[in-house]
Amino acid sequence: MRETEDNLVRDMMAATAAMINCLGGTNGDNPTNISTSDVSFVVQALLGNDAKTLADNIEGTDKFGTGPIRSAYMALAHTSITADLNAVNDFLHASKYSSQASLLPSEWGSIQNLRFFVSSDGSITPNASANGADVLNIFCVATEGVMMVEQDRYRSQFIYRPPIYSDPLAQNASIAWKMAFASRIVNDAWVINMRATRNI
Amino acid sequence: MDNTILIQGSFTADGNAKNIVLPAGVDWMRVINLTEADAANNGHGFEFYWQRGMTDGRGIVYYHPAADQTVAVDQIAASGGFFLVDTSNTDPSAAVAVTGTTNAAQPVVATGSTAGLSNGDIVRLSGVTAAETLGGWDFSIDTLVANTSFRMAYAMANAPGAAGTAGFWRRIPYDPIFYPRWRYIVNISQAANAVITTSVPHGYTVGQRIRVDNTDVRFGMSQIDGVEGIVTAVTDSTITTNINSTAFDAFTFALPISYPVGFATLHPVGMDTGTALLGAVDLLADAVSNTAYVGMRLVAGTVNPAGSNNDEIYWVAGKSFSNLAE
Repeated sequence: MRETEDNLVRDMMAATAAMINCLGGTNGDNPTNISTSDVSFVVQALLGNDAKTLADNIEGTDKFGTGPIRSAYMALAHTSITADLNAVNDFLHASKYSSQASLLPSEWGSIQNLRFFVSSDGSITPNASANGADVLNIFCVATEGVMMVEQDRYRSQFIYRPPIYSDPLAQNASIAWKMAFASRIVNDAWVINMRATRNI
Repeated sequence: MDNTILIQGSFTADGNAKNIVLPAGVDWMRVINLTEADAANNGHGFEFYWQRGMTDGRGIVYYHPAADQTVAVDQIAASGGFFLVDTSNTDPSAAVAVTGTTNAAQPVVATGSTAGLSNGDIVRLSGVTAAETLGGWDFSIDTLVANTSFRMAYAMANAPGAAGTAGFWRRIPYDPIFYPRWRYIVNISQAANAVITTSVPHGYTVGQRIRVDNTDVRFGMSQIDGVEGIVTAVTDSTITTNINSTAFDAFTFALPISYPVGFATLHPVGMDTGTALLGAVDLLADAVSNTAYVGMRLVAGTVNPAGSNNDEIYWVAGKSFSNLAE
């Protein structure tokens, strides 16, 4: 049920969000693999659109191998981007954040003002690059860029009716779920789909 | 019988493939071409049947084997019959080799196989040698010549700069499931009311607000990047806007030397109430909505279930209680 919710929001953003092709990578495709310059470009575009970051700075501390994290927009991506992220200059893995307090389990790391969250349900457009490779849609979201609207005072419900409700002999239980929500981009200037292909 | 569902309908053929929405799903479908049933056209089909388990894209056809009312039956040729549709599945078709593309504003794509394609379909090219910027974006096609070629339906601002010598095409079977969708731009006019041409039918309505994203200077008209406008008139592939682009640079479609490129795109960003009211358009026409559906795609033609132009066609589809394979 929750996965379906995620997939619907994902598909909504893939269909309607503004997009920018990565061009700074070296894999020879269009879009290219993700690079520092592409991240800079997207961050600059969001800043230019007066988009507010979602996460605050994480201050630097005197722990070996860690680094401070800038205030950041949220980048939602498919897990298959992780190897390429590891190879990007300026990438800092989440394990090297100076504080682990605000981390989510899906957080992979950060580049400049983007913090990357990955999921196997992330968005991929099949065979959509100039060379026919899959294109990874990385949704870079600012504060209040996307919303979900509950209808009838609920978003989704999991329903269980024990066997006693089915018949006098209590032979069959019922399990179901239903959904009543809509998702949409609230401000189209505050969500950018950064499209990339893989290099690794 | 419990769990058996029937749904029926009719349409007048327009010569193109027909998608029929069947919310309950479908296990079998029968199509009657009333026009052809009444006529005596040699070789023309008038009744078609498909059932789950038969090959996708085929089925059975009853036809007139002579210019009279006699009847014969045959299996519909591959890719000429019924295709199950589930628009939540957005996988493109398998890649088919392209042998060349012309250097024209509406490039003609040469290929040895056009199986599964109809005029109006959307295709995506990839690996286009020498005309690389033609790859990686979707466009509608017309002027389909079976197993020979098809043409880009909506003209780009300019020719792509070189003839392509090899590559692949794939049919893109469905739009993204959420409306309103972003679209690729192939041309923008320099005018007091700029006309923007999209690569596929855009689906926008009068009154909708759009934003032009044109971040790559190699597409020209950089002044229009980030500019919002209101749609004042539409055709299938163009929108007329209230953006004055008279003083802007010309829009140009990027040439292969610029590859890789960031394509110019169009994004719907809301609705202008006044324009919508004046245009008698639903104020909520821009609402984000999930358009996914399941159903059946009927192929057009004289021996195919979607028939020929102006044919009167009736259909009934069903969801069966059981499906016993013995």
